[in-house]
Amino acid sequence: MLSGPQKIRVKFSKTGSLKFISHLDLNRTVKSAFLRSKLPIWYTKGFNPHPKTVFSVPLSVGTASLCEFMDFKITEAVPGEVICATLNSVFPDGLRAIEAYEPTSKFHDIGWADYEIRLEIANAETYVERVKSALNEPIVIEKTTKIGTRTLDVSPFVKVLSVTEENGELALRVKLCCDDANFVNPKYVIEFLTGKLGVPGERDDYSVCRTAVYREDGVTPFK
Amino acid sequence: MKIPERILKKVEKPARYTGGEWGQVIKDKNAVDVRFAFCFPDTYEIGMSNLGLRILYHVLNSHEDTWAERAYAPWVDMEACMREENIPLWAHESGDPLKEFDILGFSVQYELCYTNVLNMLELAGIPLLSKDRDESFPVIMAGGPCTYNIEPIADYFDLCMIGEGEEVIEELVELYKEHKKKGFRKQAYLRDAAKIEGVYVPAFYEPTYNGDGTLASFRPIYDDVPVKINKRIVKDLNKSPFPTKLVLPFIQIVQDKITLEVYRGCIRGCRFCQAGMVWRPVREKTTDVLCEQAKVLADATGYDEMTLSSLSISDYSCIDKLTDELLQWTDERKISLSLPSLRVDSFTKELMEKISTVRTGSLTFAPEAGTQRLRDVINKNVRKEDLLRACRVAFEGGKTQVKLYFMQGLPTETYEDLDGIKELAESVIDEFYHTPNRPKKAPGVTLSTACFIPKPFTPFQWEAQCDMDELLARQKYLDGKIKDRKIKYNYHDAKVSRIEAVFARGDRKLNAALMEAHKRGLRFDGWDEHFNYEEWLKAFEAAGVDPSFYANRAFGEDELLPWDHIDIGVTKEFFLRERHRAYAETTTKNCRETCNGCGANRLGGERSCCPGLKK
Ligand code: SF4
Ligand code: SF4
Repeated sequence: MLSGPQKIRVKFSKTGSLKFISHLDLNRTVKSAFLRSKLPIWYTKGFNPHPKTVFSVPLSVGTASLCEFMDFKITEAVPGEVICATLNSVFPDGLRAIEAYEPTSKFHDIGWADYEIRLEIANAETYVERVKSALNEPIVIEKTTKIGTRTLDVSPFVKVLSVTEENGELALRVKLCCDDANFVNPKYVIEFLTGKLGVPGERDDYSVCRTAVYREDGVTPFK
Repeated sequence: MKIPERILKKVEKPARYTGGEWGQVIKDKNAVDVRFAFCFPDTYEIGMSNLGLRILYHVLNSHEDTWAERAYAPWVDMEACMREENIPLWAHESGDPLKEFDILGFSVQYELCYTNVLNMLELAGIPLLSKDRDESFPVIMAGGPCTYNIEPIADYFDLCMIGEGEEVIEELVELYKEHKKKGFRKQAYLRDAAKIEGVYVPAFYEPTYNGDGTLASFRPIYDDVPVKINKRIVKDLNKSPFPTKLVLPFIQIVQDKITLEVYRGCIRGCRFCQAGMVWRPVREKTTDVLCEQAKVLADATGYDEMTLSSLSISDYSCIDKLTDELLQWTDERKISLSLPSLRVDSFTKELMEKISTVRTGSLTFAPEAGTQRLRDVINKNVRKEDLLRACRVAFEGGKTQVKLYFMQGLPTETYEDLDGIKELAESVIDEFYHTPNRPKKAPGVTLSTACFIPKPFTPFQWEAQCDMDELLARQKYLDGKIKDRKIKYNYHDAKVSRIEAVFARGDRKLNAALMEAHKRGLRFDGWDEHFNYEEWLKAFEAAGVDPSFYANRAFGEDELLPWDHIDIGVTKEFFLRERHRAYAETTTKNCRETCNGCGANRLGGERSCCPGLKK
């Protein structure tokens, strides 16, 4: 028995169909999976009891991720592997629990994330060098927030890891800042490149996957 | 998933199209004999809520050699992308084009989805008319309430299942397998299928018409095809197939909860109500079976809401026992229990205390007509005193808002009856102020009126719908009468109701009008933003049919009706008797009090209230 509810963090991936569901719908999906799992999840009291699930940095609809986190509480000790296996038995395909543990950090500690961006372009190899040099210059984008639209250079918050051609696609790996103040949506980078290089074809012909998440230093993996 | 991601990123609610939900059934397509796709001619959110389809999906997929999938009408944004890029309509589970399937089974729930059926066939790249499809296309079947008069859309279907589908759908798939083994010929298959009870193959029947456009005869073209098609029912609901796993949508759907079907049929006999007649006879499940099923569903879904579903839930003979037993564990499982469609006489303080959703939800009653006289005509046994009593109970329990449903344009309706609607609403407000321990908020009554639509297989099947001007005049009249700001009045679009009336009582001549409507791009007629009355009128004109002939004409009692070849168990004589009692303003007792000899007991059924049931 636990003296009080214990906090649990589950690292999970969100791929396939799951890419296309909103944050709200992910919440619903997880909520019903919890009930199916019969795990000793802690619920709020009151008329409408619910598990207080908190998710890490939200993803745009359409973006896959290998590295998401959710926190909730349990009322009885359960080994991490059991939590993962149980959740995976009730999760839809595309939602996979990877690791479960008692967290020692806060989501607020997350500072950076790696993304893999794949663009479908004819003659992808001819773009490799041009993309590299474009990303070496100031990356001026239009950022729309609740307050309004601003034009700014986000290059301090973008680190290019690699630009290659793979299977006819242009593959771009970048580390982007994701703290509250300087959050760079991968879509900004794509829009910047589209504007700069006139990348041919439909602008929406790309896929994005978040592959890793780091603390503020951009080096220590977030856990 | 085959739809390009760039399209999924563009459309509204992409999770409508991706498939991949928890509970979907995936099989190896090379290892099955029959590929079946349930097609729902409306949005994903509506289709996914349909209980019948959930059951049938389970029924077919429980056969190892059959793989049943799902398809829905794509919303217009997705449709535009599909047309632009030539993407054929696909099934959710495999992502394969519908054209590659053996059988498509359309669930036809309401007349306003007919144009969507045509549009889905077109998007699938399948010829619309049955006669234009050979063996290289899937067999197109129809099921659902509209099959009781499928004539207006009959030319598009190869066969229809009349009545409850659980058993007949298995028989049809079984027969398909046999025919596939010996080399599938569509005509041979349909010929054998027509011999299965409950199966109607429209192409095997030929109508002839009188000079005035009414039906002269309607006969099978082959000797071995039945003259009358009998409705199928599941006799013992305790033993009827029941899904132990559900497909759980990622996005919110209309009925996003466990739906526990308690019984079929209805003991009441409201004279406008088709559902109450076509589902006869009443057949109940026992409480222990229901409790068991509820637990299975709770485990399988993880839903936190459960609704007890039936035409008139408070008429279930063991309703108290059932709710008591469910409440013993639903609270602990964090599941809230809800009851739809409460009757005024069942609305009690005890019920309100017992069931939290009754306590907190909105309060809705359906007196359907404004005066006792008209309620007697339609056989809606609701009395004003009962309604006011129920409202008082609700007010004492802290409620302030009441919703009342009515129909306008009912047979024999006068302006006095319309005044009655207004007066009833005023009485509810009065009752509020006469409730000593009422809440300290202002009360409100919302009146919602639908236009009366004469439906086949009801005592009112011969009635005319008021013409458009009259419908509008009555809405305007009532609107003008209501002065109290605490009373809100909403009414259905009369134009929509008229189109529904045309198709509800239509015959085969309407197939051409439907084609014209389709060519004019009509679809999603049930959606305000897509309904286009003027285009519909043009479609009727182009097809040379007069909508008034179907909607606004009183059909003759000796007339051969377009649906007379379908036998639902309840006899035409009974409907006629009931019609005459309506005009005499005489009510008919419910089936639990007395049997009125409607004929449905011929069909048999376990735990029913009919005497002399066939076993
Ligand atoms: S109570 Fe009346 S309106 Fe309701 S289902 Fe029964 S017959 Fe129909
Ligand atoms: S046979 Fe009698 S009891 Fe049974 S449904 Fe008909 S009227 Fe009701």
